[in-house]
Amino acid sequence: MKKFIYLAINCTIAASCYSTVSQANPLPLSVHSKYAVTVTGKVTSEAGEPLIGASVALQGTTTGAITNVNGEYSITVPDEGGTLVVSYIGFLTQEVPISDRTTINITLQTDAKALEEVVVIGYGTQKKSVVTGAITSVAASDIENQQVTRVEQALQGRTSGVTVVTSSGAPGASATVRVRGITTLNNNDPLYVVDGVVINGGLDYLNQADIASIEVLKDAASAAIYGTRGAAGVILVTTKKGQTGGIRVNYNAYYGTQAPVRKLDLLNATEYATLRNEASVANGGPIIYDDPRSLGEGTNWQDIVFEENARIQNHELSISGGNEKSTFYTSFGYLDQEGIVAPEISNYKRFNVRLNSTHKVAKWLTIGQNLGYSHIRSQGGLNTNSEFGGPLSSAINLDPVTPALITDPTILEDPESIYNAQPTAVRNPQGYPYGISTEVQQEMTNPLAYIQTQLGNYGWSDNFVGNVFAEVEPIAGLTFRSTLGTKLAYWGGESFRPLYYLNAASSSIQTAFNRDRNMGFDYNIENIVSYTRSINKHNFTVLLGQGAYKDGNTSGINISFNNIPATSFEQASFNLKVPTANRTSDAYEGIEHTISSLFGRVTYNYDEKYLFTGIIRRDGSSRFGANNKYGYFPSASVGWVASRENFWPANEIVNFLKVRGSYGVVGNDAIDNFRYVSTVGSGRNYTFGNDFYYIGYSPNAPANPDLKWEETSQTNFGFEATVFQDFNLTFDWYNKVTTGILQPVQLPGYVGATGQPFGNVADMKNQGVELELGYGKQIGEFDFRINGNVAYLQNEVTFLGEGKEFLDGGAGVQNIAYPLTRTAVGQPVGAFYGFKTVGIFQNQEDIASYTNSEGKVIQPDAKPGDFRWADSNDDGTIDESDRTFLGSPLPDWTYGITLNAAWKSFDLLVFGQGVAGNKIFQGLRRLDIPSANFQRAALNRWTGEGTSNTFPRLTTEDSNDNFTNPSDFYLEDGDYFRIKTLQLGYTLPQALADRLHMQKLRVYASSNNLITFTEYTGYDPEIGGGSLGIDRAFYPQSRSFLVGVNVGF
Amino acid sequence: MKSRYIKYLAIFAIGLPLLGSCTKDYLDVDPRGTVLESTYYKNPEEAFAGLIAAYDPLGWEAGNTYHNIGAVNAASDDAYAGGGGSSDMNTWQVWNNYTLDPAVGPQEEYWDRNFTGVSRANTLLEKVQAGIPGLDEATSARYIAEAKFLRAYYYFDLVRLFKNVPLFTAPLSTEEIYNVTQASPEEVYAQVEKDLAEAIPNLPLTVPATTEGGRVTQGTGKALLGKVYLYEQKWAHAANQLQDVNGEPGGTSQYGYKLLDNYGAIFSPDNKFNSESILEIVHTSVANGGWGSWPGFEGNVGVQMFGPRGYAGPIYQAGWGFNPLTLDLVNTLKQDPRYKSTVANIDSIAEAGSASYEKGYQNTGYFIEKYAPKTEWLSTGGGDAVLNYPNDYIEIRLADAYLMEAEALIQSGGNLERAAALLNAVRARVGLAPVTATLDNIYKERRLELATEGHRWYDLVRTGRAATVLAPMGFVAGKHDILPIPLVELNNTQLVQNPGYN
Repeated sequence: MKKFIYLAINCTIAASCYSTVSQANPLPLSVHSKYAVTVTGKVTSEAGEPLIGASVALQGTTTGAITNVNGEYSITVPDEGGTLVVSYIGFLTQEVPISDRTTINITLQTDAKALEEVVVIGYGTQKKSVVTGAITSVAASDIENQQVTRVEQALQGRTSGVTVVTSSGAPGASATVRVRGITTLNNNDPLYVVDGVVINGGLDYLNQADIASIEVLKDAASAAIYGTRGAAGVILVTTKKGQTGGIRVNYNAYYGTQAPVRKLDLLNATEYATLRNEASVANGGPIIYDDPRSLGEGTNWQDIVFEENARIQNHELSISGGNEKSTFYTSFGYLDQEGIVAPEISNYKRFNVRLNSTHKVAKWLTIGQNLGYSHIRSQGGLNTNSEFGGPLSSAINLDPVTPALITDPTILEDPESIYNAQPTAVRNPQGYPYGISTEVQQEMTNPLAYIQTQLGNYGWSDNFVGNVFAEVEPIAGLTFRSTLGTKLAYWGGESFRPLYYLNAASSSIQTAFNRDRNMGFDYNIENIVSYTRSINKHNFTVLLGQGAYKDGNTSGINISFNNIPATSFEQASFNLKVPTANRTSDAYEGIEHTISSLFGRVTYNYDEKYLFTGIIRRDGSSRFGANNKYGYFPSASVGWVASRENFWPANEIVNFLKVRGSYGVVGNDAIDNFRYVSTVGSGRNYTFGNDFYYIGYSPNAPANPDLKWEETSQTNFGFEATVFQDFNLTFDWYNKVTTGILQPVQLPGYVGATGQPFGNVADMKNQGVELELGYGKQIGEFDFRINGNVAYLQNEVTFLGEGKEFLDGGAGVQNIAYPLTRTAVGQPVGAFYGFKTVGIFQNQEDIASYTNSEGKVIQPDAKPGDFRWADSNDDGTIDESDRTFLGSPLPDWTYGITLNAAWKSFDLLVFGQGVAGNKIFQGLRRLDIPSANFQRAALNRWTGEGTSNTFPRLTTEDSNDNFTNPSDFYLEDGDYFRIKTLQLGYTLPQALADRLHMQKLRVYASSNNLITFTEYTGYDPEIGGGSLGIDRAFYPQSRSFLVGVNVGF
Repeated sequence: MKSRYIKYLAIFAIGLPLLGSCTKDYLDVDPRGTVLESTYYKNPEEAFAGLIAAYDPLGWEAGNTYHNIGAVNAASDDAYAGGGGSSDMNTWQVWNNYTLDPAVGPQEEYWDRNFTGVSRANTLLEKVQAGIPGLDEATSARYIAEAKFLRAYYYFDLVRLFKNVPLFTAPLSTEEIYNVTQASPEEVYAQVEKDLAEAIPNLPLTVPATTEGGRVTQGTGKALLGKVYLYEQKWAHAANQLQDVNGEPGGTSQYGYKLLDNYGAIFSPDNKFNSESILEIVHTSVANGGWGSWPGFEGNVGVQMFGPRGYAGPIYQAGWGFNPLTLDLVNTLKQDPRYKSTVANIDSIAEAGSASYEKGYQNTGYFIEKYAPKTEWLSTGGGDAVLNYPNDYIEIRLADAYLMEAEALIQSGGNLERAAALLNAVRARVGLAPVTATLDNIYKERRLELATEGHRWYDLVRTGRAATVLAPMGFVAGKHDILPIPLVELNNTQLVQNPGYN
């Protein structure tokens, strides 16, 4: 058997390729036949341009040739009777009978289908012009120039109706993604499907450079094909595939530095001491600092925790190619990022490998696989966005009087100083102890010392995500496709706790070395049969599918050695044995979650003019009892391409117009397992006698056998239009209603339940509009394209249970007695809730005259300089019932704008995004530590009549709760607009690139988060994660400056 | 084989996985250690685990109260809240200065702890009364008696702290939950008496201390019943029950109770379940609790709370500086032989130069000695050492029972000679001369003998002295005698707030 290897040809783009390698001459590929005939000719496009690297093959054999730089080929065939198959990417393959000719010139027609935009819709693709659902597509070209480190971030500002909020600026941190708002009180994360594999646990394993496209299925009609878990939207990610016609090698890299965008204005030592004295005296206390001026500037803790030059580098190499039989795409990625806060313990490294390939084994059989592997190693011992410690929170709250490092010999030599009394006070390498504040304690510790206690600790993960598939097409249009997808994940961490004394509340008197290891294995199997047929102008596709999904198959172990003889992470090892009594271990296994599904879809259009799609899916979930095991999720959508009607007047204004509407129902089973029965839990332990320690069991919560699917129905109307040739416009309006939201029923304490039962309790709705606009134009050598999108969304809770006005609890902050947020009927989810201020009492008269409608003095105990609280219920006193809704952490508006421009060899990218209409709780200062440092705004405090109507007086005993009441005093507007990316690139002219044996060479300089316009006074107005919009010392995103290169071979 | 057959074979092969996943079994997943109530309580071991769960809330240490010591000490005139600042452990602070309100205060934790105990006791009663395969009759009877004792214990705390609470004697069904109303205190007290009376005959006379120390006995039951009667001012009944517990003053009672010779040894973890201990809440260091197990520690975190902040020196470990003692208590104790065993004078150690510590909020330099974090008890096992002190909390001990009986005898006009003998046995043990048995002398003795053990606030309230003694701290009679119903309990329920807290 003869094998021919189609050698790599270093150019695949037709128009401007000059090659210096030996394929300049036609490539003769010999066969041994005594009647051999050589056929030559030229392959050109319709425009007459030579097509270089086109494949010319003899049908039914392995004989073939590739066209040279002039588009010429030469092929030796056994006789004159065969047929040549000529193919080239982006063109229709042509079969040409040789018919006794020796010179055959071939003109290939462009493949209109390949050029027309197609959209991935779940189990298939559809031409964009006939899609009837609300789907937003992000192509590789949209994101490849963005230096984001996680895929989720690539969606920010690019897709209307998709809100992306980073959950921390720490390297590798995830993002909170919401499709069309908050759909449920449960998990609102959209369903991620990567190459057909349902991915649980986020996309951090993906190398962004491997992504070919991302589609967001926003309306229920589109998501219904993923019925069960589509309620919060579906995000389909397709990774890159190899393409026929030679091998391509791409190398992309960037390197840069990151720095904090801004720092808080905190008081210096003199100012701090002055204010402390004032607060103490106001309360009848003593002067604390005799001479504040002598303290000078003091310690700037922010300068200590922030890194102004944190490195980031990323490298990505991909090799792809293929022929008619097989294609492949292989890539390698490496990302190394330091954090801007305490980079010694905040950094992230990721390695990626991907191999995607397809093989056409027979004309009717295709098999293939997509496989990605990632290894992540990260350090993140920062306790980010937590008011309870961590370097950032400490830096904000620590007093500037305490020195960072103690070098004063009188202190060092004083045997009674804390540094000598506490032998485990943390010291620097030179032996000097780090300063311990006597003013600000609790969890607030010297960041330098804290960092020392965390050194070396890290977490890691290994992910193998991929699928294999086989597709059979026995007759044209009928395909059977079977896919097995899996995610195999391993993750864990190692940490060492040394002996340390950070302050009275934070010390360690035992060493401990800890290691945990976990694994999870999810899979899904799907079998699909589809049939596509066109009869006259009737085009239809029928699809039937079956799927089985399993996740939650996890397990892990965790071991600690206490009192291990080591002083640092490096020294710690499990080979340093300790007595059994000093070992603790734990292990667990997850409960599997299974879903069994049947689904069907019919898409039909008449002449691409009248469009219809109908979907039904039946899902069974292991999370429900026999009463409601299965849920049915139907949807239908229709569309009308008005511009294709004969009566549509030929005009220059509206070139294309499609109107569409849809309605559908999707479900959600995002609750824990076995919630429908009463379970018995352990951990209710007690001890008898001398250490006879028993494990007790008791029921968790009353049962709810009628637990059923949470349902989200959605109506969507929209239109898409092209006007004036160059304007693209997409508009959508939707109304999304979620009913039967699965909620823990917060039982009164007197029930005495240890857990909470679940019920289908609440209802919620989201209404919004979305608009996407695009405009592109080429004027001479200047080419530009501008895309913008804007979305408006209103969320409202409509029901929380019979007679229930609001949910108990809410987000707490610090030790404030009242929750900051409340989820109540008629309000958006988790709205801010607290006291309202109405100015400051300037004098005693103000206090006496502040009365309710019956003339009762509302705050008789207040002093001038205290807040005047709104007496919302007009009962003449201020108590918890005067709390009221103060705004929402959810933005009303989200928008994004992208400008791409090119002039000659230069290209420019400006990408900005923003939100409007939300509030942020600026909870940066610890209110339960009265001695915590202040932000500069405190200098404008009330100090006497007329001095301030917004910032109250300072006093150690805050009897009016000016500072400890959750109030609008802490709420700020969260509006911002941010230039996310600004990038200037230069591409080497092709002739020069060719001389360097490159197909492409581009260099660029880029900046992320260059400018942010906001009135918010914290570090960063973009605050996601656990509780949206509450700033507990949020790890801010950095501003970075990068240089990068894109090379193609 | 012809290729078209291969084609159909391939389709068949692709379709195979379909068969594996379409069956209904696929959706019935393995509970993997999740135990269903319907299949539980089916053997003696599982019944015992249910009993343990009913005991569990006794030892809860969620930081807002710390048993009947920490927060209730702060509410009394014996100790301050203390800690790191004026809002550190705010639930203690607001009880200390009587600014508590329905939203902020120690009430929620008392409420949850005791109702959880009630619920677990009710569940156990229901399951054991329905019959548990393999559980012999005697053990069944004992479990039922223990469950009734525990239910009575939890309800006694509820009724004396909240007065108006709902009363449950069976697990609550889902339909009933939101229709519950409060019972009268008389009804609750009647149920407590009934439970204890039914429990006592089936409780063991004694238990082996090493293996079962801390499980309730007849003596525990009678002591609690006597205490309950005392709170109800059913003086004669109280004296009767307590007489059985106490036996001859100074002697060994029928349950083996006897005053220890060494007063200071009562609280030593070396001396658990000693002859003076009647109701002892057990702690251990072997559970290796860490911060993650909050609030389910089996160690005694209260001990850590009471230690001096940032202490570095001999004997003690650093604690968090809570419950610094009032000078009033310290001065009252100064000349008493029990001073050294009651007061840890950290200031004097520091001033002598052998130690240093940080003066926390409301610091007086004096700390609780009976439950002080001593280096010798520091856990060396896993978890966080500060959360694993092994000290038990003795909630009722014999000296307390002596003094309660003496008080009941005087109040009921009973045997005054015996009253004097009881009172003076307590005094004689620490070498004090006898005094006459008057109510006043008994009250004084209670304060000194039981200082910092959590009895002071209850005693002041129950005897009507709180209005004067605690007034300087902000105590308002008729309001602060009880706690507010926790604010969250009023949401969507039929409960009514206690007077004064609206």
